[in-house]
Amino acid sequence: MDDQSGMSSLRSDSLSNGSVNLPLTRRNAMILGAAAGFGAVVGFSGGPARAVLRFDLNQGNVQPMPIALPDFLAGSPSDGESARGISQIITANLKRSGLFAPIDQAAFIEKITNTDVQPRYPDWRAINAQALVTGRVTRQADGRLKAEFRLWDVFGATQLAGQQYFSIPDNFRRIAHIISDQIYERLTGEKGYFDSRIVFVDETGSKERRIKRLTMMDQDGAGVRYLTNGGDLVLTPRFSPSSQEITYMSFGQGEPRVYLFNTETQQREIVGNFPGMTFSPRFTPDGQRVIMSLQQGGNSNLFVMDLRSKATTRLTDTAAIDTAPCYSPDGSRICFESDRGGRPQIYIMSASGGPAQRISFGDGSYSTPVWSPRGDLIAFTKQGQGNFAIGIMGIDGKAERILTEGYHNEGPTFAPNGRVVMFFRDPGGNAGPSLFTIDITGRNELKVPTPSFASDPAWSPLLA
Amino acid sequence: MRTGYTISAIGHALVLAWGLVSFSAKPFEVEPVDSVSADIISERELSELTAGSKTAKQVTKPVPVVDKIGEVKEPKDPVQKVSDKPEVRTATAQPPAPSTPDVKPPEPKPAAVPPAAVADPPPATVAEPKPEPDPIAEALKREEAKKKEEAKKLEEAKKREEARKREEARKREEAKKREEVKSDLDRIETALLDKRAPQRQTVTGSMVNPTPSLGSTTGNAPQLSQNELGMLKAQLMSCWNPPVGVSEAKDLVVTVRFSLNRDGSLSGEPMVVNRGRNTLFQIAAESATRAVRRCQPFRLPASKYEAWQEVEVNFDPNDMFHG
Repeated sequence: MDDQSGMSSLRSDSLSNGSVNLPLTRRNAMILGAAAGFGAVVGFSGGPARAVLRFDLNQGNVQPMPIALPDFLAGSPSDGESARGISQIITANLKRSGLFAPIDQAAFIEKITNTDVQPRYPDWRAINAQALVTGRVTRQADGRLKAEFRLWDVFGATQLAGQQYFSIPDNFRRIAHIISDQIYERLTGEKGYFDSRIVFVDETGSKERRIKRLTMMDQDGAGVRYLTNGGDLVLTPRFSPSSQEITYMSFGQGEPRVYLFNTETQQREIVGNFPGMTFSPRFTPDGQRVIMSLQQGGNSNLFVMDLRSKATTRLTDTAAIDTAPCYSPDGSRICFESDRGGRPQIYIMSASGGPAQRISFGDGSYSTPVWSPRGDLIAFTKQGQGNFAIGIMGIDGKAERILTEGYHNEGPTFAPNGRVVMFFRDPGGNAGPSLFTIDITGRNELKVPTPSFASDPAWSPLLA
Repeated sequence: MRTGYTISAIGHALVLAWGLVSFSAKPFEVEPVDSVSADIISERELSELTAGSKTAKQVTKPVPVVDKIGEVKEPKDPVQKVSDKPEVRTATAQPPAPSTPDVKPPEPKPAAVPPAAVADPPPATVAEPKPEPDPIAEALKREEAKKKEEAKKLEEAKKREEARKREEARKREEAKKREEVKSDLDRIETALLDKRAPQRQTVTGSMVNPTPSLGSTTGNAPQLSQNELGMLKAQLMSCWNPPVGVSEAKDLVVTVRFSLNRDGSLSGEPMVVNRGRNTLFQIAAESATRAVRRCQPFRLPASKYEAWQEVEVNFDPNDMFHG
C-alpha cells in the first residue's frame, strides 16, 4: 500500500517538473503521460521480490519456561553442601516465581563436569530445557567462598550471562538469591526480587492471649529473626528504603505509638512526641521522613515528620479519618485511605498536601492502599458483602482487577519489582492468619512458609 | 515547422531519457497483497472428514479408554424372587402330610455272566489259504502308490514354499522393526537416560477413545480445523514463552525472518529484522528466535512449500497480558 501511494506521488512530481520545462500544451501533456507510463513500465520490469509469508503472532505460551539447573560443582568435597544448597535455593526461587519450570535433575543426560566449557546443547534440547545454569563453588585461600555461574541459551547455543561472587561462607544463601535475580532479569527482562526480606508480625499462643512479635526473614521464609520479645503488641511494620530500619506501631502500657527500629543495632525509639495516638506509619522513598496518622478526637489526619530535624508538617485537615498513607516511588504524591466521602475510599494528593482526588469508585469500601515500586499500580484491600479482596488498579483508579477474594484477605505489599503482591489471610475460627503471595496477573497464589501464624507483611526493597 | 520538429524530437528524447533514468533508478515494487488462503473442499471430502478415517478399524461402539477397571458392581435386584419369600403358615393349617418318598424299586441286578461265556474259545487250528499273487492288481497297486507319492511330494513342496514365504514375511517384518528401532534409537536413549520415576496419568472411566472410528458423527479430522497458516501460527505459539518484562513494554515488536527447508527444518539461522536499542529488546529478540529454533521442524504441507519457504513473523506480546 505504501508503495502505491509512493508511486502516485512520484508521478505527480514528474508532471510538475515537466510543466516547468515545457509549455503545457495538450500534446506535451500527452507525451509526458506516455513517458510516465513508459517509465512506470520500466520500473515494473524490475521483477517482484520472492514471496515471503508474513504474519503477526499475538499469542504465546504462558506456560513457565523449562530451565535446567544441575547442582553446582564443588571445588573441594567440603564445599559440596553449599554448592548443592545454592542450586537448590535458586531452583526453589525460580519455581516459586511461577515463570520458570525447573526440570527434574533425574532427566539430565549430560553430567556437567566443567563449567568453563560449553555444554552439549543437543543433550539439553532433548529434555526441552530452554535455559541451562551451570556453576561452581570453590573455597579461596583466605577462607572466602567463590561462587560463579553461567546462564546458557540452549536453543541459541550461546552464553547469556556469567558472573562470579566472593563472600564469607555463611552468606551462601544471599549469593544464591543474587544469582536467582540475575537469571530472572536476564530471561524475563524484569528486575528480580529474590534478594529481599519480609518483615511481619509473628503470632503465637491461644486466640485470647496472642503473643505478637516483630519478625524478619528472607523472602523465601529462611533465616527467621525475631526482633521484639512479644511483650508489647506490634502492628503494621514497614521497611525503610535502606532495609536497615523498620517503622511500626506498638502499644504496651501506654497509648499506641509509632516506633523506629534499627535492625543492625537493635535499638528502637519513638517517632515524635504527639498528643494522641499515632499509627499507620511509612517511610518516604528517600528514607528521611516518616508519614503517619495522628488521632485527634474522633478523626485522624496525616502528618509527616523529618527524622533528623524532628520537624512535623500537617498534610490533611479534615473532619474524617485519613490513614494508611503511602508515597509514590518518586515521592511526589501520596495515596491514602479516607472516609471523608462516607465510606473509606482511596484518595491521591500531592506530597505537600492540598486537595485530594478520589480514585476508587467501585462497590464497597477500599483500604490499605500501597503504591507499586514501579509506580504504575496501587494495590488495596476491598471490603464488601462480608468479602475481603486484594486488588490492584491503575493510579488513575481505572482498570481495577481483583487478585484474590474470600474471607479476610488484607494488607497487600509489593515485591521490589512490582510483579508480586504479598498479603495475609485470616480464615477466622481457631486458625490464625498466614502470608500469601500472588502475581499481579492473579495467577500463582502461594503460601509463604512462616514458623507460626503471621500477619501484616511488608516487603523490603532489594538488599543489594 | 522544422524548429517545431526539432523541439518536439528533443523534447521527446529528453522526456524519455528522463523517464528511463528516474523510474529505473527507483524500481517500483509492488507489495504482494496478503491473500486470505482458504481450503476449498468438496462435499464428499467434508463428509469424509467428518465421517472419520476410512482406514480406521471398525468398532461397533466407541471404546472408552481406561487404565484401571473398577470393580463391577451388580445392580441390586429391586424385585426379590417370589420363591425366596418364606412361606406363610397359619396355625390352623394342617401340617403338610409327609409325602411318601418315591422309592424306586431296586433295579434288577444284571444277570450273572454265564460261566461258559467266560471261557476262551478254543484257538482255530485251521490254516488260512495263502492268496495267489495277482500281477495286474500288483501293477495297479504300484501305480497307486506312485501317484500317492507324487501327491505327497507336491504337498510337501507346497508346504515348503509356504514356510519359505512365511519366513520371508517374518524377516521383512523384523527388518522393518529393526529400522524403526534404529530411527527411534535417539528417543529411546533419551528415555533410558531419563532417571525420573515413571509417571503415568491413570484414567478411570469417562474419557472417550480419541482414535477416529469409522462413521462417528463427532469425528474431528485435524485437517478440517486449520489451514496451513493457522497450523504454523499454532506451532509457533506453543513454542514461544514471551518474557513478562516484554509484555509491559508497549510497542515492543520483534520481527524475525527465517527460511525453511522442504522437510520443515530451518535453513540457516533466524534473523531479527528490526532493531531496538535497549536490553529489553535484546531479551525479546532472544525469546522470539528461541521460539523459532525450538519449533523446528515445522509440520507444514510439503506440496505448498513455495508458500512457506520464507517466513517473517512479528512477535507482538502486547495483547497477551492485557486481556
